Amino acid sequence: MSHGHSDPLHHPEVQMASKRNYLTGFIVASLLMFAATILVSGHVLPPFALLLAIIGCAGLAIIAQVYFLLHIDISEHNIWNTVALVMFIPLFVITIGLTWWMFSQLYLRTMPMIPGMPGMH
Amino acid sequence: MHAHDKVVDPKQVVLWSDDYEGHDVISTRTFGFWMYVLSDGMLFATIFAAYGVLSYSHSYYTGPTPAQFVAPWYTFIQTMALFLSVLAYGFAMTALKQGNKTGVINAIIASMVLGVIFLGLDIHDVLRMISMGVIPEVSGGLSAFYALTQVHAAHIFVGLLWMLVMLYQILRQGFSEDVVGRLLSLRMFWQFQAVMWVFIYVFVYLWGYLS
Repeated sequence: MSHGHSDPLHHPEVQMASKRNYLTGFIVASLLMFAATILVSGHVLPPFALLLAIIGCAGLAIIAQVYFLLHIDISEHNIWNTVALVMFIPLFVITIGLTWWMFSQLYLRTMPMIPGMPGMH
Repeated sequence: MHAHDKVVDPKQVVLWSDDYEGHDVISTRTFGFWMYVLSDGMLFATIFAAYGVLSYSHSYYTGPTPAQFVAPWYTFIQTMALFLSVLAYGFAMTALKQGNKTGVINAIIASMVLGVIFLGLDIHDVLRMISMGVIPEVSGGLSAFYALTQVHAAHIFVGLLWMLVMLYQILRQGFSEDVVGRLLSLRMFWQFQAVMWVFIYVFVYLWGYLS
Protein backbone atom coordinates (compact mmCIF):
# COMPACT_ATOMS: atom_id res chain seq x y z
CA MET A 1 0.00 0.00 0.00
CA SER A 2 2.77 2.42 -0.85
CA HIS A 3 1.69 5.60 -2.56
CA GLY A 4 5.07 7.32 -2.75
CA HIS A 5 4.98 11.06 -3.10
CA SER A 6 1.91 11.23 -5.29
CA ASP A 7 -0.94 13.66 -4.75
CA PRO A 8 -2.46 13.04 -1.28
CA LEU A 9 -5.92 13.48 -2.83
CA HIS A 10 -5.40 10.20 -4.73
CA HIS A 11 -4.99 8.28 -1.48
CA PRO A 12 -7.66 5.56 -1.03
CA GLU A 13 -8.57 7.09 2.35
CA VAL A 14 -9.69 10.23 0.45
CA GLN A 15 -11.10 8.42 -2.58
CA MET A 16 -13.44 6.19 -0.55
CA ALA A 17 -15.61 9.21 0.41
CA SER A 18 -19.06 8.66 -1.04
CA LYS A 19 -21.98 11.09 -1.10
CA ARG A 20 -24.46 8.23 -1.47
CA ASN A 21 -23.11 6.35 1.57
CA TYR A 22 -23.07 9.48 3.75
CA LEU A 23 -26.65 10.33 2.72
CA THR A 24 -27.83 6.75 3.34
CA GLY A 25 -26.19 6.67 6.78
CA PHE A 26 -27.76 10.02 7.66
CA ILE A 27 -31.27 9.06 6.48
CA VAL A 28 -31.28 5.61 8.14
CA ALA A 29 -29.95 6.92 11.49
CA SER A 30 -32.34 9.92 11.45
CA LEU A 31 -35.42 7.80 10.69
CA LEU A 32 -34.53 5.34 13.47
CA MET A 33 -34.05 8.15 15.99
CA PHE A 34 -37.35 9.69 14.84
CA ALA A 35 -39.10 6.33 15.32
CA ALA A 36 -37.57 5.89 18.80
CA THR A 37 -38.68 9.40 19.82
CA ILE A 38 -42.26 8.81 18.59
CA LEU A 39 -42.44 5.48 20.44
CA VAL A 40 -41.17 7.00 23.68
CA SER A 41 -43.25 10.20 23.64
CA GLY A 42 -46.43 8.37 22.53
CA HIS A 43 -46.24 5.53 25.12
CA VAL A 44 -47.84 3.28 22.50
CA LEU A 45 -46.11 0.05 23.64
CA PRO A 46 -45.95 -1.75 27.00
CA PRO A 47 -42.73 -0.79 28.89
CA PHE A 48 -40.66 -3.90 28.13
CA ALA A 49 -41.56 -3.97 24.42
CA LEU A 50 -40.81 -0.25 24.25
CA LEU A 51 -37.41 -0.83 25.79
CA LEU A 52 -36.62 -3.58 23.25
CA ALA A 53 -37.85 -1.36 20.41
CA ILE A 54 -35.60 1.60 21.32
CA ILE A 55 -32.62 -0.73 21.92
CA GLY A 56 -33.27 -2.08 18.38
CA CYS A 57 -33.42 1.46 16.95
CA ALA A 58 -30.14 2.40 18.66
CA GLY A 59 -28.40 -0.79 17.51
CA LEU A 60 -29.45 -0.39 13.87
CA ALA A 61 -28.59 3.34 13.84
CA ILE A 62 -25.11 2.58 15.20
CA ILE A 63 -24.53 -0.20 12.64
CA ALA A 64 -25.69 2.15 9.83
CA GLN A 65 -23.35 4.92 11.00
CA VAL A 66 -20.37 2.62 11.48
CA TYR A 67 -20.86 1.02 8.05
CA PHE A 68 -21.92 3.98 5.89
CA LEU A 69 -20.02 6.81 7.62
CA LEU A 70 -16.93 5.28 9.23
CA HIS A 71 -16.29 2.90 6.27
CA ILE A 72 -15.97 -0.13 8.55
CA ASP A 73 -15.98 -2.99 6.05
CA ILE A 74 -13.74 -5.85 4.88
CA SER A 75 -12.12 -4.06 1.93
CA GLU A 76 -8.34 -4.33 1.76
CA HIS A 77 -7.80 -0.74 2.83
CA ASN A 78 -10.17 -0.79 5.82
CA ILE A 79 -9.77 -4.30 7.20
CA TRP A 80 -7.47 -3.31 10.09
CA ASN A 81 -9.84 -0.57 11.21
CA THR A 82 -12.55 -3.23 11.25
CA VAL A 83 -10.37 -5.70 13.18
CA ALA A 84 -9.60 -2.99 15.77
CA LEU A 85 -13.31 -2.18 16.13
CA VAL A 86 -14.26 -5.86 16.47
CA MET A 87 -11.71 -6.20 19.29
CA PHE A 88 -12.90 -2.97 20.86
CA ILE A 89 -16.56 -4.05 21.10
CA PRO A 90 -16.05 -6.75 23.81
CA LEU A 91 -13.99 -4.29 25.90
CA PHE A 92 -16.76 -1.71 25.61
CA VAL A 93 -19.52 -4.22 26.47
CA ILE A 94 -17.57 -5.83 29.35
CA THR A 95 -16.60 -2.47 30.90
CA ILE A 96 -20.22 -1.33 31.01
CA GLY A 97 -21.86 -4.72 31.57
CA LEU A 98 -19.70 -6.06 34.40
CA THR A 99 -19.76 -2.74 36.26
CA TRP A 100 -23.50 -2.52 35.96
CA TRP A 101 -23.97 -6.18 37.00
CA MET A 102 -21.69 -5.83 40.02
CA PHE A 103 -23.48 -2.74 41.29
CA SER A 104 -26.97 -4.11 40.65
CA GLN A 105 -26.11 -7.15 42.81
CA LEU A 106 -24.55 -4.91 45.46
CA TYR A 107 -27.63 -2.67 45.62
CA LEU A 108 -29.90 -5.70 45.83
CA ARG A 109 -28.06 -6.90 48.95
CA THR A 110 -27.14 -3.68 50.71
CA MET A 111 -29.51 -0.82 49.95
CA PRO A 112 -31.78 0.03 52.87
CA MET A 113 -35.11 1.68 52.13
CA ILE A 114 -35.06 5.32 53.13
CA PRO A 115 -38.40 6.99 53.98
CA GLY A 116 -39.54 9.46 51.33
CA MET A 117 -37.46 7.79 48.61
CA PRO A 118 -39.03 6.05 45.62
CA GLY A 119 -38.77 2.24 45.47
CA MET A 120 -35.63 0.54 44.22
CA HIS A 121 -36.90 -0.71 40.90
CA MET B 1 32.19 -14.26 13.78
CA HIS B 2 28.53 -14.47 12.85
CA ALA B 3 26.42 -11.38 12.19
CA HIS B 4 24.18 -11.96 15.18
CA ASP B 5 27.14 -12.07 17.58
CA LYS B 6 27.83 -8.37 17.04
CA VAL B 7 26.94 -5.95 19.81
CA VAL B 8 24.00 -3.82 18.66
CA ASP B 9 24.67 -0.11 18.81
CA PRO B 10 21.32 1.56 19.63
CA LYS B 11 22.40 4.74 17.82
CA GLN B 12 23.11 2.92 14.57
CA VAL B 13 20.46 0.21 14.46
CA VAL B 14 17.89 0.32 11.68
CA LEU B 15 14.48 -0.79 12.88
CA TRP B 16 13.02 -1.91 9.59
CA SER B 17 14.27 -3.95 6.65
CA ASP B 18 16.44 -2.47 3.89
CA ASP B 19 13.89 -3.13 1.18
CA TYR B 20 11.19 -1.29 3.10
CA GLU B 21 9.15 0.74 0.63
CA GLY B 22 8.64 3.71 2.90
CA HIS B 23 5.82 5.02 5.01
CA ASP B 24 2.33 5.51 3.74
CA VAL B 25 1.97 8.60 5.90
CA ILE B 26 -1.79 9.08 5.51
CA SER B 27 -2.69 5.42 6.16
CA THR B 28 -0.36 5.25 9.18
CA ARG B 29 -1.79 8.42 10.70
CA THR B 30 -5.44 7.60 10.07
CA PHE B 31 -4.99 4.11 11.56
CA GLY B 32 -3.24 5.64 14.58
CA PHE B 33 -6.02 8.15 14.95
CA TRP B 34 -8.60 5.37 14.73
CA MET B 35 -6.82 3.78 17.73
CA TYR B 36 -7.27 7.08 19.57
CA VAL B 37 -10.95 7.25 18.58
CA LEU B 38 -11.52 3.76 20.02
CA SER B 39 -9.72 4.75 23.26
CA ASP B 40 -12.07 7.72 23.37
CA GLY B 41 -14.84 5.10 23.10
CA MET B 42 -13.40 3.45 26.25
CA LEU B 43 -13.57 6.82 28.03
CA PHE B 44 -17.25 6.95 27.12
CA ALA B 45 -17.64 3.32 28.28
CA THR B 46 -16.45 4.24 31.78
CA ILE B 47 -18.87 7.17 31.96
CA PHE B 48 -21.71 5.01 30.60
CA ALA B 49 -20.87 2.45 33.32
CA ALA B 50 -20.94 5.20 35.97
CA TYR B 51 -24.29 6.41 34.63
CA GLY B 52 -25.56 2.81 34.54
CA VAL B 53 -24.89 2.26 38.25
CA LEU B 54 -26.14 5.74 39.19
CA SER B 55 -29.45 5.72 37.32
CA TYR B 56 -31.46 3.61 39.78
CA SER B 57 -34.40 5.39 41.34
CA HIS B 58 -32.52 5.53 44.66
CA SER B 59 -29.63 7.27 42.82
CA TYR B 60 -31.80 10.38 42.51
CA TYR B 61 -32.53 10.23 46.25
CA THR B 62 -35.62 12.41 46.75
CA GLY B 63 -34.68 14.80 43.93
CA PRO B 64 -35.87 15.01 40.30
CA THR B 65 -35.44 12.05 37.91
CA PRO B 66 -34.85 12.34 34.11
CA ALA B 67 -38.56 11.59 33.58
CA GLN B 68 -39.25 15.03 35.09
CA PHE B 69 -36.71 17.16 33.21
CA VAL B 70 -35.94 15.41 29.87
CA ALA B 71 -37.78 16.84 26.83
CA PRO B 72 -37.53 14.13 24.10
CA TRP B 73 -38.47 16.31 21.11
CA TYR B 74 -36.13 19.11 22.14
CA THR B 75 -33.26 16.61 22.30
CA PHE B 76 -34.40 15.09 18.98
CA ILE B 77 -33.80 18.50 17.35
CA GLN B 78 -30.30 18.45 18.90
CA THR B 79 -29.84 14.96 17.40
CA MET B 80 -30.79 16.23 13.94
CA ALA B 81 -28.40 19.20 14.24
CA LEU B 82 -25.54 16.81 15.03
CA PHE B 83 -26.45 14.29 12.30
CA LEU B 84 -26.73 17.11 9.72
CA SER B 85 -23.37 18.48 10.86
CA VAL B 86 -21.81 15.03 10.32
CA LEU B 87 -23.50 14.84 6.89
CA ALA B 88 -22.11 18.28 5.97
CA TYR B 89 -18.63 17.11 6.98
CA GLY B 90 -19.17 14.06 4.76
CA PHE B 91 -19.84 16.45 1.87
CA ALA B 92 -16.56 18.21 2.72
CA MET B 93 -14.90 14.81 2.20
CA THR B 94 -16.57 14.25 -1.20
CA ALA B 95 -15.47 17.76 -2.24
CA LEU B 96 -11.95 16.91 -1.06
CA LYS B 97 -12.04 13.82 -3.28
CA GLN B 98 -12.56 16.14 -6.28
CA GLY B 99 -9.95 18.62 -5.05
CA ASN B 100 -12.66 21.29 -4.77
CA LYS B 101 -11.26 23.74 -2.21
CA THR B 102 -14.32 26.04 -2.13
CA GLY B 103 -16.57 23.01 -1.67
CA VAL B 104 -14.48 21.74 1.26
CA ILE B 105 -14.45 25.14 2.96
CA ASN B 106 -18.20 25.71 2.49
CA ALA B 107 -19.09 22.23 3.77
CA ILE B 108 -16.84 22.63 6.84
CA ILE B 109 -18.45 26.01 7.59
CA ALA B 110 -21.92 24.39 7.27
CA SER B 111 -20.77 21.59 9.57
CA MET B 112 -19.49 24.14 12.10
CA VAL B 113 -22.73 26.15 12.05
CA LEU B 114 -24.75 22.99 12.72
CA GLY B 115 -22.30 21.95 15.45
CA VAL B 116 -22.67 25.38 17.07
CA ILE B 117 -26.48 24.93 16.93
CA PHE B 118 -26.10 21.55 18.68
CA LEU B 119 -23.91 23.11 21.38
CA GLY B 120 -26.23 26.13 21.72
CA LEU B 121 -29.23 23.84 22.23
CA ASP B 122 -27.23 21.86 24.81
CA ILE B 123 -26.26 25.00 26.74
CA HIS B 124 -29.85 26.28 26.60
CA ASP B 125 -31.07 22.90 27.93
CA VAL B 126 -28.52 22.98 30.79
CA LEU B 127 -29.58 26.54 31.72
CA ARG B 128 -33.24 25.44 31.70
CA MET B 129 -32.44 22.53 34.01
CA ILE B 130 -30.39 24.74 36.34
CA SER B 131 -33.31 27.19 36.57
CA MET B 132 -35.48 24.22 37.64
CA GLY B 133 -32.98 23.32 40.39
CA VAL B 134 -31.77 20.26 38.46
CA ILE B 135 -28.03 20.58 39.24
CA PRO B 136 -25.25 17.98 39.67
CA GLU B 137 -25.04 18.58 43.44
CA VAL B 138 -28.59 17.31 44.03
CA SER B 139 -27.87 13.57 43.64
CA GLY B 140 -25.45 10.98 42.30
CA GLY B 141 -27.87 10.30 39.45
CA LEU B 142 -27.79 13.94 38.32
CA SER B 143 -23.98 14.08 38.67
CA ALA B 144 -23.70 11.08 36.34
CA PHE B 145 -26.24 12.59 33.91
CA TYR B 146 -24.32 15.87 33.70
CA ALA B 147 -20.92 14.15 33.47
CA LEU B 148 -21.99 12.00 30.52
CA THR B 149 -23.89 14.62 28.51
CA GLN B 150 -21.34 17.38 29.10
CA VAL B 151 -18.29 15.21 28.32
CA HIS B 152 -19.95 14.62 24.95
CA ALA B 153 -20.62 18.38 24.59
CA ALA B 154 -16.92 19.02 25.38
CA HIS B 155 -15.97 16.67 22.51
CA ILE B 156 -18.22 18.68 20.19
CA PHE B 157 -16.56 21.92 21.37
CA VAL B 158 -13.08 20.51 20.65
CA GLY B 159 -14.27 19.28 17.23
CA LEU B 160 -15.51 22.78 16.38
CA LEU B 161 -12.17 24.32 17.38
CA TRP B 162 -10.42 21.70 15.24
CA MET B 163 -12.60 22.65 12.24
CA LEU B 164 -11.65 26.29 12.73
CA VAL B 165 -7.95 25.34 12.70
CA MET B 166 -8.47 23.21 9.57
CA LEU B 167 -10.14 26.11 7.72
CA TYR B 168 -7.07 28.22 8.47
CA GLN B 169 -4.68 25.46 7.41
CA ILE B 170 -6.56 24.78 4.15
CA LEU B 171 -6.31 28.48 3.27
CA ARG B 172 -2.61 28.67 4.23
CA GLN B 173 -1.28 25.31 2.97
CA GLY B 174 -3.87 23.96 0.53
CA PHE B 175 -4.31 20.20 0.33
CA SER B 176 -0.85 19.12 1.51
CA GLU B 177 -0.31 15.61 2.86
CA ASP B 178 -0.47 16.94 6.46
CA VAL B 179 -3.69 18.88 5.92
CA VAL B 180 -5.43 16.01 4.10
CA GLY B 181 -4.39 13.58 6.87
CA ARG B 182 -5.82 15.89 9.53
CA LEU B 183 -9.07 16.35 7.62
CA LEU B 184 -9.42 12.55 7.49
CA SER B 185 -8.75 12.21 11.22
CA LEU B 186 -11.30 14.92 11.97
CA ARG B 187 -13.83 13.00 9.85
CA MET B 188 -13.45 9.92 12.07
CA PHE B 189 -13.57 12.04 15.23
CA TRP B 190 -16.72 13.88 14.16
CA GLN B 191 -18.57 10.79 12.91
CA PHE B 192 -17.67 8.94 16.11
CA GLN B 193 -19.27 11.68 18.21
CA ALA B 194 -22.53 11.01 16.32
CA VAL B 195 -22.23 7.27 17.13
CA MET B 196 -21.71 8.06 20.85
CA TRP B 197 -24.63 10.49 20.69
CA VAL B 198 -26.95 7.66 19.55
CA PHE B 199 -26.06 5.82 22.79
CA ILE B 200 -26.56 8.95 24.88
CA TYR B 201 -29.81 9.98 23.20
CA VAL B 202 -31.44 6.53 23.42
CA PHE B 203 -30.03 5.17 26.69
CA VAL B 204 -29.80 8.39 28.73
CA TYR B 205 -32.44 10.77 27.39
CA LEU B 206 -35.16 8.45 26.03
CA TRP B 207 -34.70 5.63 28.54
CA GLY B 208 -34.42 8.16 31.37
CA TYR B 209 -37.65 9.78 30.19
CA LEU B 210 -39.36 6.35 30.36
CA SER B 211 -38.28 5.41 33.88
